[in-house]
Amino acid sequence: MTELLMCLILFLPLLSAVLITLVLKRAAGTCGKLAIAAAVASFGFGVLVFAFESQWHGGVLLSVPWIELPGLSVGFGFLVDHLSVLMLLVVGAVGSAIHIYSYEYMRGDAGFSRYFAGLGLFMFSMYGIVVSGNLIQLFIFWELVGLSSYVLIGFWYERGAAADAAKKALITNRIGDFGFLVGILMLWGLTGTVDYDGIKNALSENPGVLGGLSTLTGLLIFCGAVGKSAQFPLHVWLPDAMEGPTPVSALIHAATMVAAGVYMLCRLSFVFLATPAWPEALSWLSAVTAPLVIAWVGGVTALLAALIATQQDDIKRILAYSTLSQLGYMVMAVGMIAPIAAMYHLTMHAFFKALLFMGAGSVIHAIAREQDIWKMGGLRKRMPLTFLVFLAATLALCGVPPFSGFYSKDEILLVAYGQSPGLFVLGMFVAFLTAFYMFRLIMVVFYGKARSAVVDKAHEGSITMTWPMVFLAVLSVVGGLIGVKHYLGAELAHGSVGESQWYLAVFAPFVHAPFIALIGLAAVVLGYISARTMYLGAASDPFPAGRALLARVLRRKLYVDEVYDRLNAVTQEAAAVFADWFDRWIIAGVCVRGAHGTTELTGRMLRLMQSGSLRAYSFWFGFGLVIVILISKSL
Amino acid sequence: MSPLLQIIGWPFLGMLLLFFVPRGRARIVRGVSVFTVFMSLVTALYVFIRFSPGQAGFQFEQTLDWIPALGVSLHVGVDGLNLGLLVMAALVAFASVCISREVKTREKEFYILLLMMTGGAYGMFAVLDLLFFYVFHELALVPTFIMIGVWGRGERRVYAAYKMAVYLSLGALLVLVGFIAIYVAAGAESFDIPVIAERLQSAPLSESTQSWIFAVLMFGFGILVALWPFHTWAPQGYASAPTPVAMLHAGVLKKFGLYGLISIALPLMPAGAREWLPVLAWLCVGNLLYCGLVAMRQKDLNLLIGNSSVAHMGFVFLGIASYQFLGITGAIVVMIAHGLLAALSFGLSGHLYNQKPGLRIGEHTGLLKEVPFVGTALIMAMLAGCGVPGFLNFVGELLVFFGAWGVVPWITVVCVWAALVVGAVYMLRAIRYMLHGTASNSGLNDINGAWLRMPYALLLGCLLLLGVYPGLLLRGIKPAVDNILPASDVAQVMNRGEVVDAMPITVGTEESGLSEMEGSENDSK
Repeated sequence: MTELLMCLILFLPLLSAVLITLVLKRAAGTCGKLAIAAAVASFGFGVLVFAFESQWHGGVLLSVPWIELPGLSVGFGFLVDHLSVLMLLVVGAVGSAIHIYSYEYMRGDAGFSRYFAGLGLFMFSMYGIVVSGNLIQLFIFWELVGLSSYVLIGFWYERGAAADAAKKALITNRIGDFGFLVGILMLWGLTGTVDYDGIKNALSENPGVLGGLSTLTGLLIFCGAVGKSAQFPLHVWLPDAMEGPTPVSALIHAATMVAAGVYMLCRLSFVFLATPAWPEALSWLSAVTAPLVIAWVGGVTALLAALIATQQDDIKRILAYSTLSQLGYMVMAVGMIAPIAAMYHLTMHAFFKALLFMGAGSVIHAIAREQDIWKMGGLRKRMPLTFLVFLAATLALCGVPPFSGFYSKDEILLVAYGQSPGLFVLGMFVAFLTAFYMFRLIMVVFYGKARSAVVDKAHEGSITMTWPMVFLAVLSVVGGLIGVKHYLGAELAHGSVGESQWYLAVFAPFVHAPFIALIGLAAVVLGYISARTMYLGAASDPFPAGRALLARVLRRKLYVDEVYDRLNAVTQEAAAVFADWFDRWIIAGVCVRGAHGTTELTGRMLRLMQSGSLRAYSFWFGFGLVIVILISKSL
Repeated sequence: MSPLLQIIGWPFLGMLLLFFVPRGRARIVRGVSVFTVFMSLVTALYVFIRFSPGQAGFQFEQTLDWIPALGVSLHVGVDGLNLGLLVMAALVAFASVCISREVKTREKEFYILLLMMTGGAYGMFAVLDLLFFYVFHELALVPTFIMIGVWGRGERRVYAAYKMAVYLSLGALLVLVGFIAIYVAAGAESFDIPVIAERLQSAPLSESTQSWIFAVLMFGFGILVALWPFHTWAPQGYASAPTPVAMLHAGVLKKFGLYGLISIALPLMPAGAREWLPVLAWLCVGNLLYCGLVAMRQKDLNLLIGNSSVAHMGFVFLGIASYQFLGITGAIVVMIAHGLLAALSFGLSGHLYNQKPGLRIGEHTGLLKEVPFVGTALIMAMLAGCGVPGFLNFVGELLVFFGAWGVVPWITVVCVWAALVVGAVYMLRAIRYMLHGTASNSGLNDINGAWLRMPYALLLGCLLLLGVYPGLLLRGIKPAVDNILPASDVAQVMNRGEVVDAMPITVGTEESGLSEMEGSENDSK
């Protein structure tokens, strides 16, 4: 039965996308309803799989051979275990909420049905990543997720910025995927299989099976996550991806797709347990291990993104940088070999970040698609429900107990405290920054006075927009207490994590490691106070005053885009210019035309001999005769 | 009569019929042409379905003697290797005849030449005789030059046609030299490929003979497939060719060289292959990376597609150069995928260029809005071209990478970059500055009506179907590829453990990859 359910979960969204594209394109309303029905049904079936756990025992179900050749066999199957079921539920829950929300948000758009077809394709691809049991199946859906993200970022493709952002997103992802595919090839070359189980067994039999390539393999696999989860230095596409419709940002660029990288790292965490080693020539790098690099890349991303977020003015961009920063936390956790903490935070983050984007969408929808926070203000009174859910999500994001984010973030900081003081301090500082930029947002958008006329006409959206928000708000509030960690613990940790009562769970962090919980809380309070003193009632941003240089650097996003443009211009683009020049002038010009010209010239010269004059012919005849005689004599 | 002979026969029959159709009866001319290629397609599909995959050796064989004194006979047969190519050729030919509607002048002559090209293309994939293999290819090639010169577009079409003619004749001439050398050296008194293969199995040629014949064939075939640096004829030739000719040549005829390399050069001269394939591995970087970079700079959609088509040949060369089961299988899959894709892309760009000759990328934006069907299909074709899963190209590229990884790891890494990043850059740029962006009142017309859309949908559908379910294509390929690889290698691939041991565990320098090849060569001695 589980097989059937999994098939339905995976293929219903695809079916709806195909039907919409081929048959229903013109009936926009039906398209929307069909897509919503498919998404909700998928989620429902996911819940069934979760509920009837006794029906499955972990492992790959229904593996159909896809490529069956000597040396490479790739199956198409469904990997069902706690990790994938949890992820199915997250994707299903957030996805369903976003589908319903979009029905109102996107109403009247000319591409309404195309939008829902894109969402369907995305849901299919995302579910595909979750249930993959081997690297090739994973890579296929990995690419498809990138593709659906391209389609949805470029949904308003007539706008130059959206089309540019879509292109940038896919190319940046492709750079990460380059490393990922090479890593897959390397793993296959060393272990002879692409199945997770096969690689895991090979590694547990002999942790040194990867030999001198072990660290490199780990890093290449990580490249995939750097692209998809937008970690530094490939983070540049995510803020631009905000050009897509806001529900898309909520689903794909906050809750699910960008989390796929973290999910993949947790899924493949066994690769990072291989004995670290470098090839001979690089042995001086022996102190650097893959997990160490991963943890620091995550940490640096968390910090830089949080810094940049403090000086952005576009409501969606602030949230985008916040997403980057939180993904950095998760990646950091993976790097510290704490996949439970990473997945825990991923789950909580999916709820509250999707909610934040939906709240932002609700605001943007209400005030004529304005996204500059300095043109908003005082929305607390006009949109009380949005304000409340937004506040709940903010508290969850900042990590205020008993909201969900507190528990998962505490978990990560706890691990950092035990493993790396540097990362712990960094994590705490990011917690402070998080509270600062989020309350800056709230102070400017919801408090103070209205800064433009449209704000006065703002009102809540209809019930299809508000209820999905309430649904996610509930999850954001209680998410930390519903046992996600225990559900994962049974899977990822060896041995069980002790069960406890929910009311004890509320205070658990304060009981286990009060020091860390309290410092974390202090950082949040500090962030809140700074933001409140600086931004409550401010008419324009007071931050740049006296810190002009810092503010400018942060506003320009640390000039990373500019650096990349220059870098690309002097490397790949320069190579292309050279190749084009070489092709045009050297190969097609000098060589081909040269050969052509030489032949032609020879022909023309020989033609001169054919003068038609008998005297000339007899002269050449005599000349030739002399030559022949001379040659034959000399022999 | 073997259905294979019927496949070859239909277009020639159509050609003969057309001689008797009065000039000016364009509808009848079209009708006869479409009908005959349709019959070929149906027959090809029949062969594809009735083919029994597990069986080794050739199926649907038939031999008609032609010049017994020289051992030349019309010997046809299919195995897992040429079956897919034959079906692909039938699909592409059908599609290109269907969209030949764009030709409005001297229709009778055009269709006669087009059918001749089609028949030659079918013939070269179905025959198992060296001389006929060559003759059928020439039969298809000659009309190509005429059609580019007469019905082509742009002012440079005469130069392009000349250039193409000189290049391709040179390549074909080298191939002919190689074939005659094989005939003489093998001493089997026969042009029949299975007979020669059997003869060379028992009495292989000396290594020096193998080496020079292989080199002649490799460069001869290479020129025909636009192997770097002999590639400049291709983009220009295709840009100047009438749409159906570009589709047929880039999609089908160009595969002659690759098919010849795989099915003739490799199995007949394994020692020569070992000596020259490392060179091919390096040259394929020229195709994939260099031509990819050149494609990035193109402002003309046809030149972009032409350069990308040359770049894609790099995958096939890489697969061949790996000389491994997966690599060669991947090469065959890429050939089929590229055939369908090149036809689709040139068909679509042809539709735009017929309306706006000299259209440049960036001249009109937002075409997706104005010509939704062409735009969508073009986007899908471009995504297939940069290796998005779901399309057959992805499967082929993946297999090539897996095959080449153990042999030439560093080259593989470079090719992965070229495939995933460079390919994406030029395809997405073209989408961005042509299809996306503000609609600009270009005045271009879309393709309307189910019948007119059918050829494009057919090609796209096949790419998707085979991409999602490659098993259809792979089912019969194993025995065929086993025939191509030297017996010792096949045994090694069968035992996966050994293959893993044989793989260069340390991705050292290039030399280590190549010395691996030389090492196994020494072993085989």
